[in-house]
Amino acid sequence: MAHKHSNESTPRQKTYGVLAEFDNVSSLMAAAKVVRDAGYTKWDAHTPFPVHGLDDAMGVKPTKLPWVIFGAGLTGLSFALGLQWWTNAHDYQFLISGKPMFSLPANVPVIFELTVLFSAFTAFFGCLAFNKLPELFHPLFGSARFRKATDDRFFISVEAADPQFDVVKTSGMLKSLHSTNVETVMVDDSPEAARIPKGIVLGTAVLASLTLIPLALIARAREVTTTKPRVHIIPDDMDQQYKFKAQTAYSFFADGRASRVPPEGTVAVEDLEPGTPFQTGKQGETFLAQLPPEVVMSDALMARGQERYDVYCAPCHGLSGYGDGLVAKRADRLREGTWVPPSSLHSDNVRAQAIGQLFNSISFGVRNMPAYGPLIPEQDRWAIVTYVKALQLSQYAPKDAVPAEDLPALQ
Amino acid sequence: MHAIHKTEDRTSVETLAPSLIKVGAILAVLGLGAAAFVGLRGEDGGKHFWFSYLHNLTFVLTISLGALFFVILQHLTRAGWSAALRRIAEFMTGNLWILAIAFLPILLQVLSHKTTIYIWLDEELAQNDHLIHAKHGYLNASFFAARCVFYFVVWTGLARFYGKRSLAQDHNGDLKHTVTMQKFSPISMLLFASTLTFAAFDILMSLDPHWYSTMFGVYIFAGTVLSFLAACILMTRYVQSHGALTKTVTVEHYHDLGKLQFGFVFFWSYIAFSQFMLYWYANIPEETIWYKHRMEGGWTNWSWALLFGHFAIPFIGLISRHAKRRLPILSFWAAYLLVMHWVDLYWLIMPNLDPHHAPFGLVDVACCVGMVGLWLAGFGVASKGKNLLAVRDPRLNESLAFQNF
Repeated sequence: MAHKHSNESTPRQKTYGVLAEFDNVSSLMAAAKVVRDAGYTKWDAHTPFPVHGLDDAMGVKPTKLPWVIFGAGLTGLSFALGLQWWTNAHDYQFLISGKPMFSLPANVPVIFELTVLFSAFTAFFGCLAFNKLPELFHPLFGSARFRKATDDRFFISVEAADPQFDVVKTSGMLKSLHSTNVETVMVDDSPEAARIPKGIVLGTAVLASLTLIPLALIARAREVTTTKPRVHIIPDDMDQQYKFKAQTAYSFFADGRASRVPPEGTVAVEDLEPGTPFQTGKQGETFLAQLPPEVVMSDALMARGQERYDVYCAPCHGLSGYGDGLVAKRADRLREGTWVPPSSLHSDNVRAQAIGQLFNSISFGVRNMPAYGPLIPEQDRWAIVTYVKALQLSQYAPKDAVPAEDLPALQ
Repeated sequence: MHAIHKTEDRTSVETLAPSLIKVGAILAVLGLGAAAFVGLRGEDGGKHFWFSYLHNLTFVLTISLGALFFVILQHLTRAGWSAALRRIAEFMTGNLWILAIAFLPILLQVLSHKTTIYIWLDEELAQNDHLIHAKHGYLNASFFAARCVFYFVVWTGLARFYGKRSLAQDHNGDLKHTVTMQKFSPISMLLFASTLTFAAFDILMSLDPHWYSTMFGVYIFAGTVLSFLAACILMTRYVQSHGALTKTVTVEHYHDLGKLQFGFVFFWSYIAFSQFMLYWYANIPEETIWYKHRMEGGWTNWSWALLFGHFAIPFIGLISRHAKRRLPILSFWAAYLLVMHWVDLYWLIMPNLDPHHAPFGLVDVACCVGMVGLWLAGFGVASKGKNLLAVRDPRLNESLAFQNF
């Protein structure tokens, strides 16, 4: 309702602007053009449905939003590129399917998605922002007739804030444009109206402080220790497993143990017969200096040895045996202080070892190197040691071992 | 909101069609003649000529097929905005029968088992090569020929079905034509989609019978619609420059064509990249060899040209609303995209002729001129004496009043 001015105890009112009502589209359009041409800038038209051509009639300039969206899209693209570079190629280099660490074709799906996501969010929220939405209250809601703006009437409102605004002149102009009603819209200007109601302020403060509670609880949990069992948020989680651990009691069996004793005749792995020289590389206490009779030296054996060496040994000892394998290199780079470098197979003490000792080291492990016996069958282990011997020879060959035609190149 | 009365605007230009026929025919004869003269006498037994012939025929065929897709689509979706443009697209489908005749030399080669173009025709290869032997039930001369005939029969049949009824409606405005065209549009679209997909497999993909891609049909489809939209923009501008349809086809229609153009630039890129990425990632030699040929040697630059020229540059060029509403800019991009579509098909087809370097020469230019001439002449024949506007289409008023945002 348009409030009338009063000299008494009604709240202080300010003119918001002038509202003109029209009952058809063509008079609205014509009026809009007149208002546009008269030079007004702070005004708007209100219609129940979109009216084609109203933008032009009002002189509305094309929006800058597309440029903002374009910028957002570029941001999304750069962000996606940076994200994938950082996580896959820099911070924790992740080798996937043998592809390059920073691999553009593999990165494209995420780039595409983030470009679109940033653009779409910007389009939506940008549209709201450019329209200054959400707007909880508008002075025009004070006009009872304005309700028809969502029904079957069309309106033009001109704000008092417009530099050209004059209540009499503007109302007069609008009246002359075939409007069915022109009214002055007032808005409550008193300081009480501008203040946010106490209840809302109080409620927001309470809610804001409530949100600190979970954060405080988390902070506390990180610092405090407890002997109480963990809170199980998800019941029947795998925290409680219905199984018996070793060395626990269980009354079901006569001896009261949950673990059963191994049956008669069980042999522990460590108690196994040491085996033949073919299996251990040792004859009694001495390491074999020659291949055992079960292994026949041949080109095929050497080739197999090279192939198996490259598979099992090269990751640590390197392809040429110097202890520069990929695993060793990475461990060096990580510098965690727990790594013992693998031996160079060309060091003096390794070269001095008999072939049986090499075999024994592979089979049962030595110092930090684990036992490879369970992984590699004996025949292959012998092939590997023949290859290791060949590698060692290659680095320390005497001059007369070099074929005549290659000598000049070395001199 | 301004409904333009149809009779205010010129809807036909008597001199247009005859000049298109004349110029087109001359270009066709000169172009194809020169190409044949140079190409068939070469040391390669005419291989380059036949590949170029196939390439350029495919180029103009995809434009007309894109037009057919557009016509069926407008009926399928009961679209109103396009009614003012649809007759131009219908004329483009009207030259499919001429392109069918132009396909005959290739068909004859297939039926006489000449392995100039399709190596799977070689009987010895079909026996000894494991893969080609396995595909022999599909890739053999008679089945292939039967399929090609079927494709062209379906395409020319659909073109005639829609063209005839649209033209008949000019005289009496009978709504039953629109109803019929709408009613058969779903099955028409299914027929179109399946024939285009399998034609792509047969005519283009079988050039390398060891390779396959299930996405290939979609890839060709993307280029097909893209090239039609470009041709439609250019042809409509051409017609307007001769005084017809100047008030009926407005910047609003061009804006929508531009939007579709932009969308299909991106769609093509999406499909092209998807096909590439899946093969790159799986890294299976049987599949990657096709890309290896196109990424190495003399073909590297063509691949870069496609990545930037067919995707990145037109994407940026067409993204702005203003680019789509300024006709000189839009026409530039339309012409540019037609060229890039030609480059795309060249990149698809020619590495089968020479996997190591691009055999670009006079034959390619001459064949292109010849086939484009043939296509233009066909358009002229289809449009001779007919209205350029579907004057009594029930949705024409909606199209004339159409406004974009």
